[in-house]
Amino acid sequence: MKLLSHFILLIYVNFSALALAQEQQSQQPEQIEKTAKVSLERLSQALQQRNFSTSFVVVKNNQAEPYHWFHGVTQDGIELEILALLNGPRRDKLRKGNIVSYIEPELPPYSLTSEQISGPIPAIFSRDISTLETSYDFISVGRSRVLGRAAQLIRIVSKDQHRYGHWVWLDQETDLLLKLAMITNKGQLLEQVQFTHLDITENPAESLKQLLGSELPKIIDVPDNYQNESLSWQVNWMPKGFTRLQANRHRIPITKQAVEFMLFNDGLVDVSVYVGKSDAQQRTVEYVMDGATVILNQVVDGIEVSVVGKIPASTAQLIANSVTFNANPNP
Amino acid sequence: MSENKFEQVSSLVDNFQPDSALLDELIEQQESSDTWQRYHLIGDVMRDEQQTVSLLPLDFSAQIADAIAQEPTVFAPKHNQQSKIGLVDAYIQVKAQVKAQVKAKVVQFARPFGQVAIAASVAAVMVVGVQQNVAQNESVVPSQTIQTMPFGGVASPVSLNYQTDDVQSKKQAYVEQQRRFKALLSDHQQQIKLSSIATTQSDTEQQEKAEDPRK
Repeated sequence: MKLLSHFILLIYVNFSALALAQEQQSQQPEQIEKTAKVSLERLSQALQQRNFSTSFVVVKNNQAEPYHWFHGVTQDGIELEILALLNGPRRDKLRKGNIVSYIEPELPPYSLTSEQISGPIPAIFSRDISTLETSYDFISVGRSRVLGRAAQLIRIVSKDQHRYGHWVWLDQETDLLLKLAMITNKGQLLEQVQFTHLDITENPAESLKQLLGSELPKIIDVPDNYQNESLSWQVNWMPKGFTRLQANRHRIPITKQAVEFMLFNDGLVDVSVYVGKSDAQQRTVEYVMDGATVILNQVVDGIEVSVVGKIPASTAQLIANSVTFNANPNP
Repeated sequence: MSENKFEQVSSLVDNFQPDSALLDELIEQQESSDTWQRYHLIGDVMRDEQQTVSLLPLDFSAQIADAIAQEPTVFAPKHNQQSKIGLVDAYIQVKAQVKAQVKAKVVQFARPFGQVAIAASVAAVMVVGVQQNVAQNESVVPSQTIQTMPFGGVASPVSLNYQTDDVQSKKQAYVEQQRRFKALLSDHQQQIKLSSIATTQSDTEQQEKAEDPRK
């Protein structure tokens, strides 16, 4: 008798789950996508227009890195931004309009002409999100509570198997970011950014006003050919949607190794490819993970090829294997 | 013997006059007369009377040393009942004496001590707890070296002849590898910063196939 009642319960649960699934299907998938995109567009607007001061923690490799992040817009419409790492030596990133300054222990302070800070939060979030649509789908998943607020979860899912997914929790009230997670296709969490504090103010924060009055470090010029030098090799395969941003020769600061370098970007993630001579003749493929960032390295016939970026190791391997050399290297 | 009896013996020691029936009873019992003797001994020791000190076997170390001297040096672990008994006997004897001399008064203190002990152990737990908390927090902080994973399982040694150098060279190779990876990672991050200048320009040239170097 008891068995029977269990059986009935089981059937009931199954039916209700089925009904729920059908209900979800009956909503047009395009409709869902549109709301997800609208939310991301709102996020982009909020990140550009709001005055906010926030704290967040980047959790990866069993480590937590705390940051402060201030953003504001002056009455003249100049965007001000400060992103500061709170642990260890000072790493501050300052932005005043289209000048970004980096203060780091490795280098003397310098500025670049740029409209975006490169940090743990992808710069695309405050720009035109629709450029991601070639490589990613936006899916609105549901609501949950993050940072004590009602949040909407949106998944930015790769259209192919060669990239990680980004899960984004957005504040329902202010449209701002509350949490960001990078997740593998199998659902494994690699890296996350959890906001721990969010303040929205009428006027820019005091530190931003100070930034407005202060003088930024000298702007360094990047040579023209730095972005588009002709190199004697090519990468023949990249996941769809990646474009080349840079091709140059430089030395890696720590090892002083001379490398030829290309940088690719699909809007959300950056992938670096390094090619250089190696002392070793052959070395099998080695890779390490720093949160979601893979660093893959191999030596074939005395040439070292490395791939770095927030992509799965299998993708990095495919990219490294696709590097071919021109028969007649450029003089 | 009940605590009451101890009390009675104690009061006798303090020249308190009990009724004769009780006195007889206490004399009858071997245990109570032992207690009587012990209490007087304790009293003598506390009053620092010289002659009693000789009664106390204060130099336990001599007894223990004797016992050890009797014990033959054993190179292989082998049971030697005789010497063991000798040592154990000495130990038990000493222990019994100390116990007998100290126990009686301690009993009265036992209860308050018990309470103190509980309080102390609670405090200890709290201290340990706090320390564990700190430890847990710290475990998040230390900079973990990047963990390497060989792609196709574990790397196998190239040749057996290299076995002695293997550990050293492996360690060196590991350090070298870590350095290489760190350098690549920091350069990658640096290049991303520099690329942000280029982003606006190359947004227009959308390439499906990523690579097509200019010749």
